[in-house]
Amino acid sequence: MVVDPSEFITFNEWFPLAIWSYAKIVLLLLSAGLGICFAIAVVRHGPTEAIYIISRAVTGFFSRDGVQVSPRRVIALAQLAIKESLRRRVLVVFGVFVLVMLFAGWMLDVESDNPARLYLGFVLTMSNYLVLALAMFLSAFSLPNDIKDRTIYTVATKPVRPLEIFWGRVLGFITVGTILLVVMGVVSGIFVHRGLDHRHQVETTSADFDSELKRHSGETSRDAHHRHDFFVDEETVIGGEIIGTTDPIVKEHRHQVTLKEDDSLQIGRPQGSLQARVPIYGKLFFRNREGQAEDVGLNVGKEWTYRSYIEGNTLSAAVWNFSGVDETKFPEGLLLEMDIRVFRTSKGEIEAQIPGEIILRNPNPKPDADPARQACMPIPFAATEFAASEVFVGLDQLKFQDVSGQLKPLNLFEDLVDENGQLEVWIRCRERAQFFGMAQADVYLKAQNNSFWMNFAKCHLGLWMQMVLVVLFGVFFSTFLTGIVAMKATLATIVLGMFSGFLADVHSGEVAGGGPLESLFRNTTQQGVTTDLDVSEGTSAVMKTTDRVYLRSMMLISGHLPNYPEFNTIRKVAYGYDISHHIIARHMVITFGYFLVLSVMGYFVLRTREFAA
Amino acid sequence: MDTPEAVDSEQQESPDDVSDQQQSPAPAEGAEGEVIIETRSLTKVYRDFWGRPKVRAVKALDMQVRRGEIFGLLGPNGSGKSTTIKLLLGLLFPTSGQALVFDKNSTDVSKNERIGYLPEESYLYKFLNAEETLDFYGRLFNMSAAQRRSRTQQLIDLVDLNWAKRRQLKEYSKGMTRRIGLAQALINDPELILLDEPTTGLDPIGTREMKDLIIKLRDQGKTVLMCSHLLADVQDVCDRIAILHQGELKELGRVDDLLSVQDVTQIQARGLTPEAEEEIRQVIERHQGELVTMENPSTTLEDLFLKIVRESDSASTAEMTEK
Repeated sequence: MVVDPSEFITFNEWFPLAIWSYAKIVLLLLSAGLGICFAIAVVRHGPTEAIYIISRAVTGFFSRDGVQVSPRRVIALAQLAIKESLRRRVLVVFGVFVLVMLFAGWMLDVESDNPARLYLGFVLTMSNYLVLALAMFLSAFSLPNDIKDRTIYTVATKPVRPLEIFWGRVLGFITVGTILLVVMGVVSGIFVHRGLDHRHQVETTSADFDSELKRHSGETSRDAHHRHDFFVDEETVIGGEIIGTTDPIVKEHRHQVTLKEDDSLQIGRPQGSLQARVPIYGKLFFRNREGQAEDVGLNVGKEWTYRSYIEGNTLSAAVWNFSGVDETKFPEGLLLEMDIRVFRTSKGEIEAQIPGEIILRNPNPKPDADPARQACMPIPFAATEFAASEVFVGLDQLKFQDVSGQLKPLNLFEDLVDENGQLEVWIRCRERAQFFGMAQADVYLKAQNNSFWMNFAKCHLGLWMQMVLVVLFGVFFSTFLTGIVAMKATLATIVLGMFSGFLADVHSGEVAGGGPLESLFRNTTQQGVTTDLDVSEGTSAVMKTTDRVYLRSMMLISGHLPNYPEFNTIRKVAYGYDISHHIIARHMVITFGYFLVLSVMGYFVLRTREFAA
Repeated sequence: MDTPEAVDSEQQESPDDVSDQQQSPAPAEGAEGEVIIETRSLTKVYRDFWGRPKVRAVKALDMQVRRGEIFGLLGPNGSGKSTTIKLLLGLLFPTSGQALVFDKNSTDVSKNERIGYLPEESYLYKFLNAEETLDFYGRLFNMSAAQRRSRTQQLIDLVDLNWAKRRQLKEYSKGMTRRIGLAQALINDPELILLDEPTTGLDPIGTREMKDLIIKLRDQGKTVLMCSHLLADVQDVCDRIAILHQGELKELGRVDDLLSVQDVTQIQARGLTPEAEEEIRQVIERHQGELVTMENPSTTLEDLFLKIVRESDSASTAEMTEK
């Protein structure tokens, strides 16, 4: 799974930087807002009166309207928004969701190698889009409708403060969205659980018993579009029962196989298809073919530079520096999960796995430490392409070679982990003329699995925060725009937020073809994206400059809008990775930041607008 | 149109009748009372999208409304009555001048604690029922649940909507909507009530009841500012009026002062013979007076309608009782 590099930054590292950027933006908005209001007031009332008006507005917020908010009024307005939402057939959205769920089986690929990923990706994406669309429609039209129907007259003539009107609407729509999201979450959970749950029977014709090994083996029946091989060793007794398993993993799961007292074999429910792996990521750097440290590895000619490569059978290595390695987390050894890409320069046997080796090394050995004990002997592995593979390095596997050439045991925590709990993991490719490609997230230590359903809930929390942001923007735009325009503005924030990365790529030239004007011209004149524009230099310059100005302004706007893809943790859940609390905390702080800014901006807009105009 | 003094004597017999109150309106403190509303050169200019002046709705309006009086803003459509009320409520901002309510700027939200407002049409949430509506507006005044419950029931009884209190407002007739609109305006037991065309959409009985209620509110010490283009409504209930035309104040004063014709004497008598009438004519001539008119007075259509309806109601009640 591709992991954004920003995820490697912990909350504590991120927060000071974020708060500084936030303060700068707030200051900028404040100056711009006050400047514009002051200019308008000067034109209308003259400079002296303008100073009085602006200072009264600002002091009014801090002394009265911003601090004397009545929860009862906010809740009353929120309840009104909820009733209004129900009247506007909000349940239709849920109906659509259920309807799609009912027929989802027809649309999903039943032969998928990873049905959990498919099902989770489907239900979570659908919930996401439906809830965002609902939030957008509800929030953008409510206040404009009140103003159009003049029902706002009977509210604004009560002792209701502008902030209460704003928060009441926001709270109401968030409540509606939350209820809907919870219900959708429960239905999705049931759908996924039922979709993945299946049972097999033992295919009696294949059942076999090896009396020497005391092992039962055979095949399961074909159910849910697949079957498994299994084995049960009579000596493997767990909890008083003889337990075996299906092997290898098929469709990302196994089944437990139990040998009953009457010698019958019972195959249990699927295990491992829904998981939340907790990765401990390390910091990655490379060693080149001479063994010198580099920030990046080789580029094998791929346009996508996410991964760097190391050359086989040289001193090239990808080195991860892991922190926080201690005996409590890894009492029996290290479990490494690896998702390594292979770039072959000689075909050889195309299906053969490429051998590699793992070396554990102490990054900061003590001065008096024996040099031979600072790294373990290479541990071989074979790279599995396009699939994550697990390598367990047991404590007893760690050896070093003493001066006499004998292999002697190493202690992971005393010899290889330094005083700060840091450990280096070196990975090398053993085969000449072949390359391993790796990114920082491709190799990690797996501490333990967290609860999948907790992870599922955390993913919904991410969807919820996206919904909150959409509601905030929708209500804010509706304070000064008509319903349809507010909806379009909200949609624009979502689109810009979602494609801010793409805009940056177009602007930087990473995406070929130029900006909107150039690409439109290329499309209509059927010119390829990589060729030079077939126009005069002057026309080309005008076109590119216009595009640059446009893209720069779009980037300026999108840079200050929520980065919705960052909130989207659907892929993590679908790929079975735990959503770190660092990420959740970061998203919550961002959401709260927008809440504060948009509340204050919404307050001033409502405070300065005439409802009866 | 009858003045309050000229209302049919039969109606005065009923102690509950509004006409009794109209006959002897509670003395407003007039120019001596505490000022509740004050406008100083209040001007409102509506502008177009580009900020160019479009309509000058209110022009340099100076007026005061004092505690305990019913003040009427009178004028034809588009004269600036509703705009003035909206300026006082803070729904619009003055272009220049000041609008003060309880000595506070009209844009100050805290003044709304003591205000009740019935808009021109009852702009209420149609998906709520009467109880929910009043409960919602009660919450906006930060009233406790117990207060809201008792006040809601009280007001529903007052506007006689007990039978329809659980029906959504979208099912209400225009008159019922006006009544629940009035109830919401009174939810906080306000000191000042602003009524924009309060009798619009009401039938004659509803109109009379509304006028009764306005006078009753005044008698309870509340100040009422109402605007209307229905002259009869204003004349029937207002202590003082301001006549607006094209946004300008044309006349301001007590209704009876403004309407009294100083050089004409009106005498009304019952049971005179033609000979006696002739004798009166001669007396007028002898004193160099000019007889303007001598005829049998006619009642108003409103009074006639109410009399017929009430008689019909009494007859039906008697019939029911006999049965």
